[in-house]
Amino acid sequence: MTDTIATQPIEVTVNGRQRLLDVAVHHTLLDVLRDDLALTGTKECCLVGECGACTVIVDGRSVDSCLVLAVEADGAEITTVEGLAVDGTLSALQQAFLDTGAVQCGFCIPGQLLSGTALLAESPHPTVAEIHEGLAGNLCRCGGYQQITEAVLAAAESADRAAAGAADR
Amino acid sequence: MSTHVIGGSPARLGGLDRVTGGQQYVADIHLADVLHAKLVTLDCARARIISIDTSAALQVPGVRLVMTAADLPQPVPRFGPQFEDRPVLAVGETKYHGEPVAAVAADSKDAAEQAAALVKVEYEELPAVFTIAAALDPAAPLVQDPALRLDDPLARTNVLREHHFGWGDVDAVAASADLVVEGTWTFPMVTHFAIEPHAFMAAPDGDGIAVWSSIQHPNWLQKTLAKILGLPLSKVRVFAPDPGGGFGGKQHVKLEPLVAFMALRASRPVRLVLTLEETFQTVRRNSTEVHVRSGFRADGTLVFRDIESNYLLGAYADIADRTVTKGSYAAVGPYRAPAARVVARSILSHTTPSTAFRGFGNPQPIWAVESTMDEAARALGIDPLELRLRNLARRGEEIIPGDTPADGDWAQTARKAAELVGWGTPLAAGRGRGIAFGIKSGPTTGLSYSTVRLLADGSVIVYAGTSDMGQGARTVFAQIAAQELGAPLDWITVVMGDTAVVPYDQQTSASRSTVLMGNSVLAACRAVQAKVRAMAARVHRVDEALIAVEAGLVRLPDRVLPIVDVLGPGLGRLGGEIIGNGEMRKDAEPGHPLGGSAAFYEFNCTAVEAEVDQGTGDIVLVRYVTVSDVGKALNPAQVRSQDEGAAIQGLGHTLMEHYIYDERGRIRNLGAIDYRIPTSMDLPLEFISETVENADGPGPYGSKGMSEGALLCVAPAVAAAVRDATGVVIRDLPLTPERVWQALQERSNT
Amino acid sequence: MHTFAYARPTTLAEAVALLDAHGSDARLLAGGTDLVIRLRDGSARPAMVIDVKRVAELRPAIREDSGRITISATTVMTDVVADERMRRHFPALVEAAAVVGSVQIRNRATLAGNVCNASPAADTAPPLLVYGATIVAKGAGGTRRIPLDEFFVRSGVTTLGPGELVTAIELPVPRRRMGATHVRRTRRRGHDLASVTLCCAVDEAGVTRLAYGSVGPRPLLRIDESGVLADPFAPADARTAVLEQMLADASPSPRSMRAGPAYRLAMLRVLGTRALATAIERLGEGE
Repeated sequence: MTDTIATQPIEVTVNGRQRLLDVAVHHTLLDVLRDDLALTGTKECCLVGECGACTVIVDGRSVDSCLVLAVEADGAEITTVEGLAVDGTLSALQQAFLDTGAVQCGFCIPGQLLSGTALLAESPHPTVAEIHEGLAGNLCRCGGYQQITEAVLAAAESADRAAAGAADR
Repeated sequence: MSTHVIGGSPARLGGLDRVTGGQQYVADIHLADVLHAKLVTLDCARARIISIDTSAALQVPGVRLVMTAADLPQPVPRFGPQFEDRPVLAVGETKYHGEPVAAVAADSKDAAEQAAALVKVEYEELPAVFTIAAALDPAAPLVQDPALRLDDPLARTNVLREHHFGWGDVDAVAASADLVVEGTWTFPMVTHFAIEPHAFMAAPDGDGIAVWSSIQHPNWLQKTLAKILGLPLSKVRVFAPDPGGGFGGKQHVKLEPLVAFMALRASRPVRLVLTLEETFQTVRRNSTEVHVRSGFRADGTLVFRDIESNYLLGAYADIADRTVTKGSYAAVGPYRAPAARVVARSILSHTTPSTAFRGFGNPQPIWAVESTMDEAARALGIDPLELRLRNLARRGEEIIPGDTPADGDWAQTARKAAELVGWGTPLAAGRGRGIAFGIKSGPTTGLSYSTVRLLADGSVIVYAGTSDMGQGARTVFAQIAAQELGAPLDWITVVMGDTAVVPYDQQTSASRSTVLMGNSVLAACRAVQAKVRAMAARVHRVDEALIAVEAGLVRLPDRVLPIVDVLGPGLGRLGGEIIGNGEMRKDAEPGHPLGGSAAFYEFNCTAVEAEVDQGTGDIVLVRYVTVSDVGKALNPAQVRSQDEGAAIQGLGHTLMEHYIYDERGRIRNLGAIDYRIPTSMDLPLEFISETVENADGPGPYGSKGMSEGALLCVAPAVAAAVRDATGVVIRDLPLTPERVWQALQERSNT
Repeated sequence: MHTFAYARPTTLAEAVALLDAHGSDARLLAGGTDLVIRLRDGSARPAMVIDVKRVAELRPAIREDSGRITISATTVMTDVVADERMRRHFPALVEAAAVVGSVQIRNRATLAGNVCNASPAADTAPPLLVYGATIVAKGAGGTRRIPLDEFFVRSGVTTLGPGELVTAIELPVPRRRMGATHVRRTRRRGHDLASVTLCCAVDEAGVTRLAYGSVGPRPLLRIDESGVLADPFAPADARTAVLEQMLADASPSPRSMRAGPAYRLAMLRVLGTRALATAIERLGEGE
C-alpha cells in the first residue's frame, strides 16, 4: 500500500560547490535545494511553473525549479540566490535591487534576481520591453515591477560603467 | 552622522537578507524534529461528514498523528475576531470547498501527503448557497447555526448583519434633484495571492507553546490561542517573521489553533505550509452587488446618495463584517452630501471565508459611487473632474457628520493627478480618459506600545510589534530613531515579531503603522531624550531647564554635543543603557458607529488614459496616474512602492481576476494557471505615481498612513476611460477583453 | 507526488526498448513542463519515467539538409526562437514559440513535447500545421513519418502508437515566398494559455493557409487555393465567404474557463482577418 521511496545518486554543482546527493526520484530540484541542501533562499509558491518564485539558473539558463526533477539535474551547474554574491560582495543586480527600492515583502525577489541575472548575461543592454518580457515569468504581488525594471536597467548601466572603467586602464 | 534621514530613502532594513536569500519566512525556519502536516479536505462545498476512517493513513510509515474533530476538546473550540464561529476543524459539516476535516502529521512531507490521501471521509453533499441571490432566498439553507447568535433577529437568515448609516432625509430632498443616476455595480470574488502561501508552525515550549505564523497580528493570535488552549498569555509565545506579502489575508487566525493542538498532541513541532491552491480556499475579498442612486442638481451639485450594498461573505465571518461596516460608512465619498442613506448587508455563503483585503470594504462601493459620478457628469454635460471638484470637501469640512473632517487639501491631489494625465488636452482617436476620487478611513481605534533602548555606544534597539510585510515599517521606525537619537541607520536594530520580547501592538492594518506605531516609537525616543537631558545636566552640571535634546543632539548653553558624547561620561563605570517606552493609544469613542473616528483619511485620485481595441475588447492603459495625499513621505521610495503596488493589485480585480465556481460550489480555477494576476508585461505603458505632502497628518513629522489609497479608484477610473473611448458602460468587474467585447456588441446592436 | 522508476537512456535503441517494455506504464520526459505538473496533481501516475534528454540521437539540434529543417526532439523553445534559419524560413513558428509560457518555461519546454502533449491550445501547432510539419516517430517496428495534420486526435491524444516516441520534427523549407504570422488571444499581456491561437500564411502563388487552435478538440488546418483570400482587391464579401468556410469547423467548448464560445468564435474571425492582412503585407515586404 505504501510507496517505497526510490532514490538515486546525483552530482550537482551548486553555487560553485560540487555536491553528491541521494535524492528521491520524484522530488523536484526545488525540493532538493530547500530540503536536502537547506538552501531556503529559493521559494515555493505555485508549483506549476507560473509564478517564478522557484527560479534558479541551470547550466546558464533560468528555469522554474519546481518543474525540474532533481534527477534530471544530475551533472548540472546550478546557481541559486545564495550564489549571486561573490566573497560577500553583492552582485551589481543585487545592489541595484536595494538601491532602487525594488524589494518589498521580498518573497519573489530571489526568483527575480535569478531571472534578471540570466537576462543580463544574455542581453547586457536590455530595453524596458525586453526586461518586462524577460521577467514576466516572475510574479510580484506587491506590484514592484516598475522598480524591479529600474534595478535591472541600473545594473546594466553599472556593468557598462565598470567595463568602461576597466577599458580605460 | 546624518540626522536628516526623514524624507530620505535609505536602503530598506531587511533588504540585504531579501536579496541574498537569507530572509527567513516561516517555511524556511529549521526546527530539528519538526513534523510535516497536510490537510484533508473534501471535493465539494458543503457536506455532512458521516465518518472519517484514519486507519489506512496511520499505517503509512512516518505518520505520527491524524487529527480529526473528535480528537479535539469537546465542544470543539471556535474562534474568530468578530464572531467565534470558526471551529478548529470542521464539526459534523464542511461549509466551504476546502474546509479542513482532518490533518496528518508525519516525519516527511511525502508521508504526510500520502497519508492525507488515504484518510477516508464518508460524506453526503448538502444543498448550499454560493451567490447573493441564493443566500437571500427565504428557502435557502442556513450557513451558520442559529444557535450561535440566539438574540439576533436575523439568526434564521444568511444575513449576518445589516448596517445602516446616513444623515439628512434622502426621500425629502430627492425631489429637488434635477438628475438621478442609478445602477447596480458588481465586484468579483478575488483572492490575495501573496507569493508566500500561509505557513504555520507550533512547538511545545516548556509548559506553554511557541507558535510561528505568517500572521499580521501576532498579539491577536496570542490572545486567541491562549483562550483556546487555556494557557496564560505569558505561556504563549508567537513568533511572527516578516510575511511574504499579507494584504490583509494574514491578519487573523486561520490554522494556527489546529497546528497548536497537533504539536501538543504529538509533543513535537508541527509545521503546515499551505499550497497556493489551499490559500485560495482560505482567504478572499468580499464580492459585492452595490446599488447606488445619486442625485444631482443641474449644476452638478450632489443632492443625495442612496446606497444599498450586499456583500457576500464566506462561511465564517473572520473580520469580513467589519470591512462591510467600514467600507459602507464612508461609501458616500469625499464629498459634501446633504443627505445620505446607506444600507449594507453582510451575507454568509458556503464559500471561502472572506477577510480583510487592502482597501477593507471600500473599493467595492467606490467602484459604484464613482461610476455614478462619471455617469452624472456625462448626463449633465459637465467635465467629470469638474463635477467632482465642485462637490469635493475642503479641508476641515465634514464629510460624515460627527466624524473626522476632511484632513487634507484633496483638490490639490486631484488637480495634480489631472495635470499629470494631461486631463483636458486633445486625445488621439480611439482613446479615452477617466478619473476617480476615493477615500478610506484610517484606524478608528488602536494601541501600539514600543520600547527604544539607547545602548552605551550610541547604537539603538527598537522594539515594535508591527508586522513588516513589505510596506517597510521596520525601516520607517529605524529612520525615526535615527532622526531623534542621532544614530546612523545601520547602527539601529528593529526587533519585531516576538510576543515574548516585543511589547503589545494591537494590529497591523488600516495603514496605521507609520502613524500609530510611528508615534509610539517617537514617544519612546522622546522619553530617551528626556533621560539624556537629565544625564547631561548631571554630567555638565547645568540646569536641566537650560538643556534641549533633539534630533540626536544635546544643546548645552555653551555648546552642542551629539548624544553619544554624553552617554560615555553619563553611564560611567557601571555602564548601562537608556530605555524609553512609548504608547500611542486611540481609544474607542462610545456611541460612534465605527467605534471611533478616523485617525486620518487616505485620499487618492487616479486618472487614466486608455485605448480600447474594439475588435477584441483589449484595454491598453496608455498612461496611468495615481496621486495620494500622504502628509509626509518618511521614506519616499517605500511610499512609491506602496502606491504603485496598490495600483497594480487594483488592476488585477479591474482587468483579470475572479474566482470561477462550478454549480456545486467548488472553485474551478484554483492555483496560478487559471487565476490571472498582473505580470510585468501588464504594466501600463506609462505609469506615474506621485504624492502630495503638506505635513498635515497626525503621524511623525506630519505623516499620514498610506498604502491602500491607490487601490481604491483603479476600477472606476479605468471603466470611465473605456466609456470615454467607446461609449460603453460596464458595471461588472473584471473588465476582461471578453466582457468589454460583449458590451461593445450590445452597443452596436441597440 | 507518487514515486516512479526513472530511466535515463543514452541511446535511441535503449529508449525505444524501455518504451516498448513498459508501454502505457511509462511516460516520456523531455522538458517536463507538462509532465511534472501532471505528476504532481496525480493525473499521471506512470510506473516509469523515461528521460530522453541524454539520448545521443535526440540531443538538441536544428539541422538543415536538402531543403528540409529537422528539429530534434529535445530542442527547446528558446533555441527554436534564437535559430537564424528558423527565423528566416518559419517566422510565424518563431513568433509562436516566443510566447509559450515565460522565459523559464521556454528554456525547458521542447517543441516536440508541446506537440505530443496535444493541447488544442498549443501555440506552436498552428504554425507547424501551416508550414507542413512532419513528425518523425520511432518504435520497435522502425521509423515512420506522420504529417502533423494526421497527428492530432484530441486533447492529450495523438496517433503515436504504443511504444513509439517522437525523435524529430521536420519542416520543408518553403519553396515559394510566403508571408506569415501567428496571433492569439489571451486574458492578459503577460504569459498565458491562449483562448484562440491562429497562424495564417499567404504564398506568392495565392495559396492561403490558416491553422487555428483552442476552438475545438484539436488544432485545424485549412487551405484556400482559390486565391480569393490572398487577393487584397477581391470583394470583401467574397473573402468573408471563403474565410467563413475555413473557420466553419471551430467548436469551442462551453466549459472553458478562459473564454466563452461566442467570444472565441468572434475572435477567430477578428484574428483571422487581421492575420490575413499581416500575412499579405509581409509577403509584399519580401519582394
